[in-house]
Amino acid sequence: MAQGLALPAGSVLFAFVVGGLIVLATGGNPLAAYQGLVCGGFGAFCTQGENPALQISNTIVFTTPLLMTGVAVALPFRAGLFNIGAEGQLLVGSVACVAIGVRFNSWPAPILLPMVLLGGAAAGALWAGIAGVLKATIGAHEVVTTIMLNYVAQWLVRYLIIGGPLQLRGGYSVSSPIGLGAQLPTLLPQSNGLVFGLPSSVYRVHAGLLIALAALGIFAFLLWRTPLGYEIRAVGQSQKAARYAGVSVQRTIIVTMLIAGAFAGLSGAVQIAGVDHNLTDKYFSDSTGFDAIAVALLGLGSGIGIILAAGLFGALHAGGSVMQADAGISSSLVGVLQALILFSIAANFLSAIKLRLPGFGRAPRARPPDNPAAAMMTEAAATQPDDGMTIT
Amino acid sequence: MNFVSEIGHLLITSSLWNQALAAAVLLLLPALGGVISERSGVVNIAMEGMMLTGAFFAVVADLAWHNPWLATVVAMTAGGLIALIHAVVSIRFRADQIVSGIAINIFAAGLTVFLLRRIYGIQDVGHIGASDLLPNLDIPGLNQIPFIGHVFFQQNVIVYVALVLLVLVHIVLFRTRLGLRVRAVGEHPQAADTAGINVYLIRYGAVITSGLLSGLAGAFLAIGVSNTFVPNMTDGRGYIALAAMIFGKWTPFGAFVACIIFGLGEAIYANNSIIHVSAYLLSMLPYLLTLIVLAGVVGRSSPPAADGIPYVPGSE
Repeated sequence: MAQGLALPAGSVLFAFVVGGLIVLATGGNPLAAYQGLVCGGFGAFCTQGENPALQISNTIVFTTPLLMTGVAVALPFRAGLFNIGAEGQLLVGSVACVAIGVRFNSWPAPILLPMVLLGGAAAGALWAGIAGVLKATIGAHEVVTTIMLNYVAQWLVRYLIIGGPLQLRGGYSVSSPIGLGAQLPTLLPQSNGLVFGLPSSVYRVHAGLLIALAALGIFAFLLWRTPLGYEIRAVGQSQKAARYAGVSVQRTIIVTMLIAGAFAGLSGAVQIAGVDHNLTDKYFSDSTGFDAIAVALLGLGSGIGIILAAGLFGALHAGGSVMQADAGISSSLVGVLQALILFSIAANFLSAIKLRLPGFGRAPRARPPDNPAAAMMTEAAATQPDDGMTIT
Repeated sequence: MNFVSEIGHLLITSSLWNQALAAAVLLLLPALGGVISERSGVVNIAMEGMMLTGAFFAVVADLAWHNPWLATVVAMTAGGLIALIHAVVSIRFRADQIVSGIAINIFAAGLTVFLLRRIYGIQDVGHIGASDLLPNLDIPGLNQIPFIGHVFFQQNVIVYVALVLLVLVHIVLFRTRLGLRVRAVGEHPQAADTAGINVYLIRYGAVITSGLLSGLAGAFLAIGVSNTFVPNMTDGRGYIALAAMIFGKWTPFGAFVACIIFGLGEAIYANNSIIHVSAYLLSMLPYLLTLIVLAGVVGRSSPPAADGIPYVPGSE
C-alpha cells in the first residue's frame, strides 16, 4: 500500500519542484506562489486575512464536479477504454439541465430537480454512447471519437447561447436561468447568520457534493460487487480471455461508456443546478473533463484515490486565484503543475530516477509494468492485434 | 433553398478559395507533422500544444527583435522542444502516448499564459507592426492568371512553404530510404530493429519534426494571420489537424484534401455575414465529418500497425 502511494505522492512532489523552478527561472518567488496556493486551497498559511472556512468551501465546490468526471474517466480505464470525452459529456449534461430547467421552470423541485439531473445524465450517456457504439461495432478508437465529440459539444454550447435557442433574451453568450425548482440547495442556509465569521450565504458548497460522493459509492460498488463490474475488469484485463469466459466484449464496452457518460453528464447538470444556474461563456473554456483524466490517473482509478486527487485539483483551482491575487503569479501555473503531474504519472519518472537514468534515448532494462497509468491501459492494449482495437 | 444558392455563389468567388487555402495551410502543417509522427509509431495528439507554444514564442521573439524570419525559427525551435518532451516521455519512458499528448496540451496552454503574464503583465501583448509580419508574396506573372492566380499565387509566404513541404513529405515518406525506415518502424519496429534500423532515433526524429512543423504553423497563425497572441489562440486547430490526418488516412495528400475541406468551412465561416447560418454550427463540421469517416461511411481508415505502442527491444 505504501508502495502504491509513493507514485502519486512522488508525482505531485515532482510537479511542485519543477513548477517551482519554472517560477524561479521567470523571476518569481515560488514559496510565495505556493503559499498563495495552499491558502486558497486549504485555508492555511494565509497572509491577506483570507477566511480559511471560505477557502475550503471554494475547494469543495471545485472538487465536486471532479469527483463525478473522475469516475467517468476511471470506470472506462478499468475496461481498457480511454474516455477523453468527459468534457463533452459534461457539456451536453449542462445543456440538457438548462434546456429542461428553463422549459419547465415553474415546476416544483420534487419533480423538476430529478428531471434536470437525470436529463443531464441521459445526455452525457448518449454522447459517450456514440463513442461506445462506434468502438464496439466498427472499432473506431474511442480517444479520437471522444475528442471529436468534445469539440462538437463545445461548439454546440456556443451556438445555443449565442443567438441560439437557449440564449437569454437581451443577453449575449448567456442562457436563461433554470427555474428555482431545478436548483440544488446549498448545504448551509442562504441567510445572513454568521458561520465561521461570515454570512452563511457566502459558502457555496451545495447538495451536489452528496450526489458526487454517492456516485463514487456507486462506482466502487459497481466495479467490485456486481457481475457487470467483473465483466468490465475482465474486458480491461484481456478482451480475449473475457470472451472465452463468456463475456460479451461489445456489450460491455457500450454499457461502460454509457455509464461513464452518465456520470459526466450528471456532473455537468449538478454544476448548473448547484452553482451556476445558467450556461455562460465560462463553459466555453471549461476544462473539468480534462482535469478528470489527471484525477483518474493520480487516483489510480480507485474510489478513495479519486477523492484525494479530486480534492487536490479542486484545491489547486481554488488556490490559483488567491495565488494570483496575493503573490502576483498567474493562476495558469495550476495548468502547468497539472501537466507535470500527468507527465510524471504517465512516465513514472520516480522509479526511473530510482533506477538511475540510463543513457538518453536508450531504453532501460525491461522492467515489470510498475506504471499504473500504463498498467490500467496496456493489459487491454496488449491484446490489440487480436482484438482489432485499432484506430479506424 | 436560399442557403444553397448563397453557398453556391460564394464558392465561385476566388477570394473564398484564397482564404480557404490559407486556412487549410494552418491545419496542413501540424497535420503533416502528425502523419510523420504516427507513421513512425508515436501517437501525437499534442499538435495543439506545440502550435500554441510556437505561436507564443513567435510573438515574443518578433516583438523583441522585429524580425519575422528569426521569430519563425524561434517558434519552430519552441515547437520542437515541446515535441522533445513528448518524445522523451513516450519513447524513453514508454509512457502512455495519449496521456503524454494531453499533458503537452495542458502544459502549453498553462505555460503560455503563465509566461505571458510574467513578461507582459496583465495588459495585452499588443499588435505586431506591419513590417514585422510574415509577408504576403505575389508570384509575378502567375498571379495574373484569372481565379487561379488569386487563389494560389497571392498568398502568404508560409503558404508556399507549406505546399512545398507537402510534396516533400510525400516524397520522403514514400520514395526514399528514410521514409521506408520511418514506415517500417511504425509498422513493425521489431523487424526494423533486426534490419539494423535505429528505432529510437527514427521515432525521436519524427516526433521532433512534427514539433517543428506545428511550431511553424503557430508562427504563421500568430505573426502571419492574427498579428498578436491571445491565450488559447489555436482554438482547437491542432485537433482539427489530427482529424485531418485521420480523415486523410495518414497520408500527406489525403490530409491536405481534408485540410482544404476544413479550410473551406472556415472560409465560409469567415464570410458568415453573407450566409445566415450560425458560424458555431458550421464550426462543428470538421469534427462531425471526421466522426462520419470514423464510422466507416467513407471506407476504413487505419493507423500504422505499431502506432501508440512503445518499443521495447527484444519484445515480441
